[in-house]
Amino acid sequence: MLRATLKGMAARKARLILTSLAVVLGSAFIAAALVLTASIRATVDDLSGDAYKGADVIVQPVEPENRGDRLVRDGVAAETLAAIEANGDVADVSTTVTWMVNALGEDGKIVGGFAPTMAVNWGDESVEREMREGRAPEADGEVAVSAQFVTESGLGLGDTVTAYSLSTDETPYEIVGVYGYAGGRDSLSGSTELAFTTTEAQRLVFGGEDVYSAVAVTAADGVDADELLKALEPAVGAESEAITHQAYVDDLNAESAEVTSVIGYFLLGFGLIAVFVSVFLIANTFSIVIAGRLKEIAMMRAIGAGRGQIIRSVLAEAGLLGAAAAAVGAGLGVAAGAGLTSVIANGFLDTATTSVAIPWSAPLAAVAVGLGVTVLSALVPAVRASKTPPVEAMREAVKADKPITGITVTGLVVTLLGAAGIILGLNETFGSDDANLIAAAVGAGVVFIGVALLTAWLSKPVVALLGAVWSWSFAGRLGRLNASRNPRRTAVTAAALMIGVTLVTATATLLTSVKESLAERFDTTIKAELFVTGPVTASVPATFDPEVMDEIRAVDGVEAAVDLYYDLAQIDGTEQYVNASSDIEGAVTQFGGVVAEGSMKDLGEGEIAANDAAAEQLGIGIGDTVTATFSRGTEAHEFTLVAIIADNEESDGFYVDPAYTAEFYTPKPNMALVDVADGADVGDVTAEVEDLIADQPSVSVQNHEEYLSQVTVFFDYAIIAIQLLLALAMIVAVIGVVNTLVLSVLERTRELGMLRAIGMTRGQTTRMVTVESVTIALFGALLGIGTGLLLGWIVQQALAPTGIESFAIPTALIAAYLAASVLVGLLAAIAPAVRASKVDILGAISYE
Amino acid sequence: MPLANPPAPQLTRTRSAVTAANLWRAYGSGEAQVVALRDVSVQFASGAFTAIMGPSGSGKSTLMHCLAGLDTTDRGTVRIGETAITGLNDKALTKLRRDKIGFIFQQFNLLPTLTAEENILLPASIAGTKADPEWIARIIATLDLADRLTHKPTELSGGQQQRVACARALATRPEVVFADEPTGNLDTRSSGEVLRFLRRSVDDFGQTIVMVTHDPSAAAHADRVVFLADGQIVEDLHRPTADAVIDTMRGFENRVPLAGEAR
Repeated sequence: MLRATLKGMAARKARLILTSLAVVLGSAFIAAALVLTASIRATVDDLSGDAYKGADVIVQPVEPENRGDRLVRDGVAAETLAAIEANGDVADVSTTVTWMVNALGEDGKIVGGFAPTMAVNWGDESVEREMREGRAPEADGEVAVSAQFVTESGLGLGDTVTAYSLSTDETPYEIVGVYGYAGGRDSLSGSTELAFTTTEAQRLVFGGEDVYSAVAVTAADGVDADELLKALEPAVGAESEAITHQAYVDDLNAESAEVTSVIGYFLLGFGLIAVFVSVFLIANTFSIVIAGRLKEIAMMRAIGAGRGQIIRSVLAEAGLLGAAAAAVGAGLGVAAGAGLTSVIANGFLDTATTSVAIPWSAPLAAVAVGLGVTVLSALVPAVRASKTPPVEAMREAVKADKPITGITVTGLVVTLLGAAGIILGLNETFGSDDANLIAAAVGAGVVFIGVALLTAWLSKPVVALLGAVWSWSFAGRLGRLNASRNPRRTAVTAAALMIGVTLVTATATLLTSVKESLAERFDTTIKAELFVTGPVTASVPATFDPEVMDEIRAVDGVEAAVDLYYDLAQIDGTEQYVNASSDIEGAVTQFGGVVAEGSMKDLGEGEIAANDAAAEQLGIGIGDTVTATFSRGTEAHEFTLVAIIADNEESDGFYVDPAYTAEFYTPKPNMALVDVADGADVGDVTAEVEDLIADQPSVSVQNHEEYLSQVTVFFDYAIIAIQLLLALAMIVAVIGVVNTLVLSVLERTRELGMLRAIGMTRGQTTRMVTVESVTIALFGALLGIGTGLLLGWIVQQALAPTGIESFAIPTALIAAYLAASVLVGLLAAIAPAVRASKVDILGAISYE
Repeated sequence: MPLANPPAPQLTRTRSAVTAANLWRAYGSGEAQVVALRDVSVQFASGAFTAIMGPSGSGKSTLMHCLAGLDTTDRGTVRIGETAITGLNDKALTKLRRDKIGFIFQQFNLLPTLTAEENILLPASIAGTKADPEWIARIIATLDLADRLTHKPTELSGGQQQRVACARALATRPEVVFADEPTGNLDTRSSGEVLRFLRRSVDDFGQTIVMVTHDPSAAAHADRVVFLADGQIVEDLHRPTADAVIDTMRGFENRVPLAGEAR
């Protein structure tokens, strides 16, 4: 029997290759994901290893516990540095002074996107810098900038750049040098950097205090890192800590491991989706191949092969094919992963060199998954094949399709089960978060399978509807009829495409709904028409002079203007947002809040107001006392709760008197809300307010839409990122459609021969196959969009209590998905259509 | 031209629908070469029903394929009506088959996705033209298919399917209908129906039919039987009866060794 299997496989090379493609792709994705993850980690680890190269011990400030606010930094004191330098075991010391700053580009706007802008002292040895043009800064008014900064700011050598930090006002600096990093890099992970003299860097980072972000120490000859660590202990004191270079690198690696493991999960997710799609492809291809061999199988049965033998024969074929294809896929995946490492490392991480790591798990997992998936996928077709009655060998007739009632009922039940899983999971029916998440995720997967089973039933009406589009052409009509003649096959092929489209549609729908919900709430709760604020992505929160508030209030047509200060403070040992305003009541009512308990007419010294959620979190009521330490505060203050605010949805936490803003991380207001009077012209008011803040480049005047689009820009990025998923799923789906079409064309050779014999042109044949392809692809996309909207809606409904109240449909994206699916159909049709149009008429219609 | 001449043999009296002159066709090369047609010249009269017979491998199917523009010839010419088809490109050949030729196959070859009526109208649909409704109605009535028009091929018996195929072949009033073993897959009763229809379409509609068959009783429905052996025409029988066909075949089978010796 095995011999017959092998010979049979050899005789059907074309079909074999098509089946293998799906397996190869799935395995390759898994292997590539694992290799890529390991390689990125290795590359990043190398990068960490280069930090403070040559140093033995790093001394850095002790970070206070429970401090999430990283805007205000502590430093290593100058006395500590002096004590270290005086130690006999120390050969060399270098200092680092660094933190985020804002710098204004040529256009007067804050430079930078999501990657930060950093200030550093020239002399810092945490990374290797290479001066490219000019020289190092020698005076406090001089600065050298990274090549990336030149690119993003539009400024260059000899220009003047304005920069400021939390501690300093806008200050002009002359650019005296442009530098890059070891390996010819322009930037570190996309960030921009400005290098100052050490004293100027201290002014920017620490407000002029003589302290340092870190001190790197090299041991004298004959002293090892641990001995140095011990020797430095008395010098370091309690406010700082010394760690070996190795421990420092390990810390960095642990931090980056969090990021790289997220990347790894993301990639592995891609791989698993590809495998999931492959299951459909493999099962479908095997079904079709076996359908084409029914006669042969019946003949085997007729001459005495048992059902078990037929099943084993098909599974043996699947096993051989799966093993071979998975091995090829693993090889390709490892190669692709290695190749992609440098692309990702150079493109996103700006690393100079890349390290390729190939863990054993990569090829092993790829082969195991590929082989397992192939054999499992072949199981159903194998069992079906074994049921072939021997008499089929003698028959030659077109068989009617098997009824699809059973599969439809099953599909309905499975879909409902999956939906139930999602709903239960999202409603947190189960004990733990993990269990709920798993229930929801498994539920989503089950819904896929359920809908995939339902596709056979859906295909007739939907394809008929789609077919109306092609009815003008007879070839098109035939193509449409072909697409619906085998509902199971069309369904499974379309399902492969459906999965990807479902995923992106569901995610896009959810994100759009979140955005829409935010926008709606924003519009209904916020009365102010204009916002004076800086970009969300600024490294240091944008601020403006408080004096400008009175000028804004004096503008004709301004009903009210409220300034807002923000801080992240420690209140009763928890991290809380604290707001302050010169018009505290306005600040609350502007956001739709109402005073539910107590009074907050004027918050005085030692008085604090809380939003109801924050009060509930801390378990405090009116008259209770809390202690708060602000970002820059050196000591804790006692406050009495005087008011609780309800319905304030846009602002979190607490309110205090503006007198405390001196201890906030920015002592100046971060935002102003401007309420334009009824009947006044918003455009005129905007222009006047713009004039008033013209000398304050870090802030601008924004209307609702502009402000919202800033706040929601992250969602836009997320939506773009998930489109990558679609691209991946589309590639797999193209192969699926090609598979089905090629096999269908092979199956219908005689029919095609007849059509060509009685006068169908090659062009018409091509059109017929293309329409079939596009119809299947569009069907898959429609299913995916439908399922995606459904999933998106279920999740949105489940999240409605958390504030995601609006359901929004991303229409533009959906139109794009439909267009993409037409493209998939057209691409997939090329090879099968050419094959169909070149069918050998004589061979097709002869029987001898 | 004197009209009172004695009746000439039918072949020369009428116009010929299909003319083959000195056809050669070989497959393969060298040792493995098989010559399927050797210098075959034959004319098929318009409005006549001609059967081509011969043992397996005699070249009868190759002859039909060459005549119908489905296969190419090595040497010689084929004309359908006034059109020389030898050397036409695929596009022109396709158009010729569509407009001038009808086909009936052994396996019926209906499109399973279309109804009987749609299958009948298929050639016109492919051409993008409208079939003559009166003509179609007449064929359908003759073939007794009126109550089967909305059925799919899977819902029809073999005989019904072949009748639909016949209607399809005649739907465009082609110059000639080629039938390749049209009764090969049918029972005796259905075979009779199909053959009687082919006969009627010649007698009543003046259709030209060329049929390849190995069944003497089928051949007996024809006006003329052309016998092929080893790629050559060995007999040409007019107004055959089944017995005459069987006799000819017997005699011709006896001659096969002679033909072998002649080589």
